[in-house]
Amino acid sequence: MSGNNNEQGGRLTINFKLNEKDYTLKIDPDERLLDLIRNRLGLIGAKEGCGMGECGACTVIMNGQAVNSCIIPAARADGAEILTVEGLSGGMENDLHPLQKMFLEKGAVQCGYCTPGMLLSAKAFLDQNRGREISREQIKEGISGNLCRCTGYQKIIEAIYCYAREAERIEERKG
Amino acid sequence: MPGKRNVLKKGKGEIMKFSNLGKETPILDGLEKVTGRARYVPDLKMEGMLYGKVLRSPYPHARLLNIDTTRAARVSGVKDIITGKDVSQHRFGPMVPDWVILPDDKVRFHGDEVAAVAASSEEAAAEAVSLIEVEFEELPAVYDPALALEEGAPLLYEEKDNNIAVTFNVHSGDVDEALAGSDIIFEETYETNQVYQAHMEPMAAVAVPGDYERLIMWLSTQIPSMSRLRYAEALQMCAENIRIIKPHVGGGFGAKFECKSHILAAVLTRRTGLPVRMVNNREEDFRAGNPRVPMKIWVKLGLSRDGTFLAKDTRIIAGNGARTVYAPAITSTACYRIDSLYKFKNVRSTGYTVYTNTIPTSCFRGFGNAQMHFAMESALDTICHQYDMDPIKLRQHNGVTPGFTSIHGWEIKSCALKECLDKAVQESNWYEKKKAPEQKGPVKKGIGVAICNHVSGNRPFYKPFDGSSALVRLTPEGKAIVFTGEADIGQGMNTAFALIAAEAVGLDVKNVRTAAVDTDISPFGLGSFATRGSTIGGRAVYEAAINLKKQLLEHISRVYEKETDQITINNGYIYFDDQEEPVPVAEAMQTISYTLGGTSLVGQGVFVPDTVLPDENKYGNVSPAYPFGCHIAEVEVDTETGKTRLLNYWAVHDVGRVINKQTLEGQVEGGVIMGVGWALGEDMVVKEGVLLNPNFHDYFLPTAMDVPEGHIYSYFLESEDPNGPFGAKGIGEPSLNPVPAAIANAVFDAVGVRVKTLPITPEKILEGLEPG
Repeated sequence: MSGNNNEQGGRLTINFKLNEKDYTLKIDPDERLLDLIRNRLGLIGAKEGCGMGECGACTVIMNGQAVNSCIIPAARADGAEILTVEGLSGGMENDLHPLQKMFLEKGAVQCGYCTPGMLLSAKAFLDQNRGREISREQIKEGISGNLCRCTGYQKIIEAIYCYAREAERIEERKG
Repeated sequence: MPGKRNVLKKGKGEIMKFSNLGKETPILDGLEKVTGRARYVPDLKMEGMLYGKVLRSPYPHARLLNIDTTRAARVSGVKDIITGKDVSQHRFGPMVPDWVILPDDKVRFHGDEVAAVAASSEEAAAEAVSLIEVEFEELPAVYDPALALEEGAPLLYEEKDNNIAVTFNVHSGDVDEALAGSDIIFEETYETNQVYQAHMEPMAAVAVPGDYERLIMWLSTQIPSMSRLRYAEALQMCAENIRIIKPHVGGGFGAKFECKSHILAAVLTRRTGLPVRMVNNREEDFRAGNPRVPMKIWVKLGLSRDGTFLAKDTRIIAGNGARTVYAPAITSTACYRIDSLYKFKNVRSTGYTVYTNTIPTSCFRGFGNAQMHFAMESALDTICHQYDMDPIKLRQHNGVTPGFTSIHGWEIKSCALKECLDKAVQESNWYEKKKAPEQKGPVKKGIGVAICNHVSGNRPFYKPFDGSSALVRLTPEGKAIVFTGEADIGQGMNTAFALIAAEAVGLDVKNVRTAAVDTDISPFGLGSFATRGSTIGGRAVYEAAINLKKQLLEHISRVYEKETDQITINNGYIYFDDQEEPVPVAEAMQTISYTLGGTSLVGQGVFVPDTVLPDENKYGNVSPAYPFGCHIAEVEVDTETGKTRLLNYWAVHDVGRVINKQTLEGQVEGGVIMGVGWALGEDMVVKEGVLLNPNFHDYFLPTAMDVPEGHIYSYFLESEDPNGPFGAKGIGEPSLNPVPAAIANAVFDAVGVRVKTLPITPEKILEGLEPG
């Protein structure tokens, strides 16, 4: 842990990188990572769907792993590198991550409440399996911690599959 | 700039019939959703905003002796606490006036609202709620609707003689005589359980004090205009003094109708003069949401030897829960909507909607029709098995056909039910699979069929009227904005409306958007229920677009000095018969606008369906259009574990006209998986009135792992309904209606076990497999 200073009143100072930007923040010991992201940093993409790590709507990527930010203490972010959906693409000029584009193109989005978490789980899963051929069944497992009540998942799986195939082809061309 | 010749040809309709319809159009509000920028009610924040929290009853039935808020009020940051003593005790409610803002006498279910707090932080609000001291006197309670019907059962409403909220009766023809003349008589009881909608965004409201002493409410709702009327009643305000805004909504599936916590947020805002945000946590959403109406359904059917349906007799006991939301309408739907799927000649049905000390129940995709589809379509499967009939032919023999008027006077104008069956049979290879030889090994495959009907709008749902109106505004920049009161809750309706308007006017859909519902601006819209959005709301948008096009043509004619019959508008360009070069609509609109003081053109459209309120015999056409469908499920059942796995699913729907193929498929795939969840595992487990699984850990919901290894195949047939916009009918609910029965029938085909109570669990299958 880097620079984890206990202060009077029990507040902690943590340092972390979020969406490529460095932060130093004072936090309460019982503060959740989700509250830090939503309430302190004002990033609303991560949603609270259940508050107990079961629905995945609050998923962010921390040190390469998809985590449920609603059950992770903010203190755990000390020294960590975090990616939220806001870090997937640029500003309003719509330079979307190809996975976001594929979600749109394939109809993988309906109400959109699960979408940020779903995208990040998919990204973490694909990053961890870079260079391997991915099957639809593996994708299902990779996003099984994220609930979606609108789509029936089929188009989400298809979007991730198509993206993985496309990414594979790009890698091949490069190689 | 498009290739002129090519587009000109398209403009004349020589190549394509539609420029915008029938394609796979990604939703127009997708960008904000994939970037996380879309704002839902729980994302809204305002300066000085308070956080609301509700104290809920820990008892299923108890008298409120005393409530002491002294300690709670001392918590730093607490601004207001309300109990039943602080609010008017007048009664109101969506169907039966059995709601109060907060009770001052007793609580009627575990989760019932007792008090509400507004504080400057969520933590302070939660702490205050935990410090409210309530003296309860527990009362005898009743949880099972059948037991609640018995004489001497504890009464939920002491002023009533019994626990029946509403009784529905219908009898057309002569059922007793028809049964006496039947060759085949079949009788069985089915049970459908209580399940939770599980919208990913919980119920939420932000109430804000408005100017002119008005109240502004940002709601996660599927009925913005209608809830405004109800909340006006609750708050004893003039409806016009309430402004409701519906931003993005994270799913509803029937749950997001009138909601107590919305009203409590409004009361707290009016008392404190400050904005109040009230968001259910997931457990509250489970405990005090509006889950599916559980039903016990007794069915008796009479058929002739050739399989002709002669009589249907049903009796339903439905659980209303502790106060009435929409369960009575759901029970009546279960009683008689399916009578217009088949050519019945004699039908009788009685449905009791019964109070119990449990969570108030209400709308959930399928609205009672889904419950009855499970009973009816399971029953037909058993009859076919017992009397060696073909389940496809039996349904085709008795199914309604175009031009048919059902026993209740429902006018089936468009209908491709027969074709749906044909297509599903063909695509699934039904007869080949049915002929498959005896399977060896412990895992058996099976295939099952069920068909469905539904409405696209339901005249008796809101007694004063049905119908919709819309505005389409074409701005000086050539952009069109659709204003509707119908509520997109994630289904893609706003995109469908934009496509309809684009097609009708001749615009490029990229330049059309549908505005968020804001009751200060949008026309009144009844909302998202009864699968009415695309058909009734869409038809109003179509009419508004046609009206706009008429105005646009007149102004183009004036400004460009051409006859209107020499002008064609297509895909954002204006073509003149005597001119090679088309003019972009944006360019023409700017010119038009400059000649008219900078105005936009506004088309207004109204659609009043040719429907009637059913008479005392429940006779009368209730919907402008009826969608139909046929589902076939292929499953695998492990006889050692009892586990059922979905292998493939074929869903064929008569949707009248495909507006957007992509969102249609999305509705079907979502409906099917939701139905699979219900059929194979979803269940609210209630013991002594207490929900034992009020969270996503203990409540089973389908995940990506439950998607079939094969595929969910969807097919759409276009029967071109005369009432729907471009012929379109609804899809939301029909996509779910036949699912549990199709699965139950497939399970039976696989292992010969008939499960008559949902869900179809491994335990029930293993029990059925036991010899003897």
